[in-house]
Amino acid sequence: MATPDRQMISDSQSQPAQSSAEPPAPAFALPKIHAKDVNFFYGAYQALHSISMDVFANKVTAFIGPSGCGKSTFLRTFNRMNEAIRNTRVQGELLLNGESLFSMDVTTVRRRVGMVFQKSNPFPKTIFDNVAYGLRVNGVKGSVIKDEVEKSLRRAALWNEVKDTLHKPASALSGGQQQRLCIARALAVEPEVLLLDEPCSALDPIATLKIEELLFQIKDITTIVIVTHNMQQAARVADFTGFFFMGKLIEFDDTRVVFQNPSKKETEDYVTGRFG
Amino acid sequence: MITGDISLMRRVTNVAMLGLTGLSTLVVVSILFFILGYLLWMGGSSLSIQFFTNLPKPTGETGGGMANAIVGSGKTLLLASLIGVPIGFLGGVYLAEYSGRTFAFLVRYVTDLLNGVPSIVIGIVAYALIVKPMSHFSTLAGGVALGIMMIPIALRTTEEFLRSIPNSLREGAMALGATRSRTIFTVVVPAAMSGLTSGMMLNLARVAGETAPLLFTALGNMFWSQGWMQPTATLPVMIYTYAISAYDDWHQQAWAAGFVLLALVLTINITARLIIGRGASSARR
Repeated sequence: MATPDRQMISDSQSQPAQSSAEPPAPAFALPKIHAKDVNFFYGAYQALHSISMDVFANKVTAFIGPSGCGKSTFLRTFNRMNEAIRNTRVQGELLLNGESLFSMDVTTVRRRVGMVFQKSNPFPKTIFDNVAYGLRVNGVKGSVIKDEVEKSLRRAALWNEVKDTLHKPASALSGGQQQRLCIARALAVEPEVLLLDEPCSALDPIATLKIEELLFQIKDITTIVIVTHNMQQAARVADFTGFFFMGKLIEFDDTRVVFQNPSKKETEDYVTGRFG
Repeated sequence: MITGDISLMRRVTNVAMLGLTGLSTLVVVSILFFILGYLLWMGGSSLSIQFFTNLPKPTGETGGGMANAIVGSGKTLLLASLIGVPIGFLGGVYLAEYSGRTFAFLVRYVTDLLNGVPSIVIGIVAYALIVKPMSHFSTLAGGVALGIMMIPIALRTTEEFLRSIPNSLREGAMALGATRSRTIFTVVVPAAMSGLTSGMMLNLARVAGETAPLLFTALGNMFWSQGWMQPTATLPVMIYTYAISAYDDWHQQAWAAGFVLLALVLTINITARLIIGRGASSARR
């Protein structure tokens, strides 16, 4: 069963209790997500090896690396999505605003940490109902829903394209529109962090560009973590970049440093296209 | 020379196989069409408006019908759906969405066994469970017998259709903070709805023609049934009773009943196919 290691959780819970005695740290210093010594197992196979890093608020953080390096697996620990997979196990410390992810209710975690997937996955419902779904799930009722749906669609730069077809099936939209709809759907519940798992891998360059522009606009209201196969994309959109290889976080730094002046040989080989 | 021989051999084999498969198909199709055509011919010519409005009459009298059997069939099928569909559906949801592999395998195996149990045995079960304790035959017992027969297919259909829904939809809903059960009932089941509806209808059509389990549950009745706890006439049992009688006019009535039953099953089938087709085309859009 997909139960996280309880021993490690109790460790992480004791952490904020200790620090509460000290003077509160300035808000900008507190990372949005703090990961420390995260290990992850699919059965007996260890997919992540002792990963520690911080995701900073209102910044775009990109994870790059070759296929199977663990970047998506690590991303999915941020909203505990791996728990839906049987026979997996996570160890280590994961804090959202200083609070352990594992001490929260899983539905709360997922409301606060939204996710957009590699393949757009609109529900077989109308455009309106897709965006309203998260609101309804979280108990929002009545006329507020209508306003929130419009707000979210505007934020996802989709409103002008769909405002007259809100009650048509979402499946009628193009691939790029569907992906922006999924972003709107995720934004509707106002997540503190938005995870994007290779959101553009199935899109053409124009649709990709639109999504990237969108990321710039929404980073004021949320914190973005994006997994991408496309190094140019990471270089364009990300403030920070982490390079993963064989389940380890090889290097994590300012995007410019990772691409122009990496400190590790593997990173340099990868970003210069020598492998991967 | 050699290549010529091989190609000749291949051509002969090819023609022979094509001939065999084609002949088999022809045999199957022609038997089916013969039965259908004969039933249409015999049943259609015996059908009259009185058949739908009147009660059965003794042999020799004209203008008898099977209104009570049509209503009786409707009532038993309604009861059967009320029992078979919810149980099968919820069980299928459990198998597809919650259960572990070993347990699912076990349940699936038992379900397939239940599906293979001869229908007359199911009739005996309903007899022992309901007719015996209540000490008389009833519509209820007939409905329960048919309902039990519907469970295996309802369960397997639900399981198969839910499994065919991509996991990405479940993840999408759960990523918005939906609980497992909310995800299943607001995203997964609606996505599978057209398949589920038509599956259930085909299931109903399948039991609509069952005779054996009704013989000693609903029994039969030459008059209007006095209620759910009383015996009722049904079309399949009427066909059986009339067809084995010694009277020509009853034989005619049996043909007409066969015709009506076939029309009923065909209507359900075609409706189900239409629902499947519509669901598939809306999913493609």
